[in-house]
Amino acid sequence: MELFDNLLLGLSTALQFNNLLYCLIGVVIGTAIGVLPGIGPIPTVALLLPFTFGLPPESALIMLAGIFYGAQYGGSTTAILVNVPGETSSVVTCLDGHAMARQGRAGPALAIAAVSSFFAGTVATIVIALLSLPLAALALKFTAVEYFSLLVLGLLAAVVLAHGSVSKSLAMVFLGLLLGTIGIDVNSGAARMTFGIPALSDGLDFVPVAMGMFGLAEIIANLERNEVRQVVSQKLRDLVPTRADLKAAFPAMLRGTAIGSALGVLPGGGAALPPFTAYALEKKIARDPQRFGKGAIEGVAGPEAANNAGAQTSFIPLLTLGIPANALMALMIGALMMQGIQPGPQVMTEQPALVWGVIASMWTGNLMLLIINLPLVGLWVSMLKIPYRLLFPAIVLFCCIGTYGISNSAFNVWLMLGCAAVGYFFIKVGVEPAPLLLGLVLGPQLEENFRRAMQLSDGDPSVFLTRPISAVLLAVVAVLLLAMLSPAVLRKRTEALAE
Amino acid sequence: MPHFDMSQLRPQGRRLDWPDLLFGVFLIAVSAGAFAATSRLSGGSAADMGPGYMPRAIALILLGFGLFFAGRGLMRGHTGIERVQMRPMLGIAVAVGAFALLIEDAGLVAASFSAVLLAAAASRESRLFEVILFGLCVTAGAVLLFVKALALPVPIWPW
Repeated sequence: MELFDNLLLGLSTALQFNNLLYCLIGVVIGTAIGVLPGIGPIPTVALLLPFTFGLPPESALIMLAGIFYGAQYGGSTTAILVNVPGETSSVVTCLDGHAMARQGRAGPALAIAAVSSFFAGTVATIVIALLSLPLAALALKFTAVEYFSLLVLGLLAAVVLAHGSVSKSLAMVFLGLLLGTIGIDVNSGAARMTFGIPALSDGLDFVPVAMGMFGLAEIIANLERNEVRQVVSQKLRDLVPTRADLKAAFPAMLRGTAIGSALGVLPGGGAALPPFTAYALEKKIARDPQRFGKGAIEGVAGPEAANNAGAQTSFIPLLTLGIPANALMALMIGALMMQGIQPGPQVMTEQPALVWGVIASMWTGNLMLLIINLPLVGLWVSMLKIPYRLLFPAIVLFCCIGTYGISNSAFNVWLMLGCAAVGYFFIKVGVEPAPLLLGLVLGPQLEENFRRAMQLSDGDPSVFLTRPISAVLLAVVAVLLLAMLSPAVLRKRTEALAE
Repeated sequence: MPHFDMSQLRPQGRRLDWPDLLFGVFLIAVSAGAFAATSRLSGGSAADMGPGYMPRAIALILLGFGLFFAGRGLMRGHTGIERVQMRPMLGIAVAVGAFALLIEDAGLVAASFSAVLLAAAASRESRLFEVILFGLCVTAGAVLLFVKALALPVPIWPW
């Protein structure tokens, strides 16, 4: 069985002492930033990217992946105890999780959240292992033509499934693509839009862009709001849920895992969309929907399972096709390229230890998270007592040092500052910055494949429609675009995302 | 980068959709900038693209989006923009700027300490004594973490 061989190879990589250590570092950092509202996984991964340069590629990816799914665990702790989502993916956990906490049942709520996450993480690991091989085999048949169509589909789907206005997000993708063309053109050697700045000749580095737009701009916006945080203080000794709790939570956990695994694989998937869908489903099929919002345990188990499953299965398009499903996966692509690995379907065959090591590490990581989050929950709660007025100057400093560290140049720090200003402008006009980051990272690949495809076809654009796989991919693009124009679908989407 | 004086935009102002209008104007400005910056690069043909082909093609699309949003912003609605507060913005900007200016010549300690102090000024809740103490701790931590543990090649002191 090839699958078992692969999983064994993965486990032997993931269980190496140093990889276990990096996995632990990743999930601990992930839990910490998950618990703390106001700092998410995107700036954190961007910050740590430059320092993974010296690590072996599998250790780097194992650690960065751990930050992402670790943040899903940590986010629920804050949601339950403070009624503030530690991450956007734990917004719905606030509703019933916090209601449970106010009824003095914070312990069982935290336990169910952690157990659901662990269960979903385990299942998602298996889903990744099962889906990766056939997808990668299909992707190996791809030429520049199919690749271009796939990239277009990925970018468009990411826009359609994300929050916010579709037309504005599309504009942001193109803005990202434009920024992606900055630098020396590989075919002609001509400098494009570098404005005579030598640091730009290798292209616009996405780390300062990500840190400015997601880290600093967010801090400025947070400082404008005055939020009062009230931690529910109660003894967290009774962590063990009752038998009735478990019985009610288990089916919700299963459904949440299924929803999360399915939605996570889609381009534009990830951890944000699945919990909303899972919550809506639980409410719809419950015998007594009135209980929701008042401490229904299904309302914690379903979404928590869904966000963790989604966070993990969003790695599938990245590992098999080299296409990021969301902005965070775009940073992972950056991590691969920094290691000199060109992302794409060939990674699976050329670097099996890397791909399967990362997959297997998700399971070891989830096991660590269960231990880190349940018995040690008090430690994370005490972290919430650090006031934001002390937290944010430290984050600003770490962003500065991190960007400087990419290439030891102050230029990147200035670039980050510029991006922070633009990111603040985007927040003010209500535009999501995530599609821009996707466009920026995928831009060079998109251009390269488009050029190659056009060269092969002698400038005839119909080649994208005459090749079957490409035609199917573009047909999906057309259906998505048409669906977005239909008012009924638009209304449904608004409802689904608002709920 | 275009400059907008957003402090004058109040929700009660004229019947304009300010977010749409500003985003549209921003996109038009960016695409104009891209056209200007790539004007000397050759475009080539679709079969054999020059370096200027893609940037200009994308800039053209952005121009379309910009005109669409700007037009829509003028035509409909009267959405305002949340008030812009100067203190958080300036505090963070000055902190990052100070870090960028100091890091190479004055070293990590001076750059870190001043960045933390200036950033703290962005919040009304900060207390001077607490921030100084905290700044010293974070600076020490940053030196240990980035220079000692992660071996970032950066001077610690100005000398």
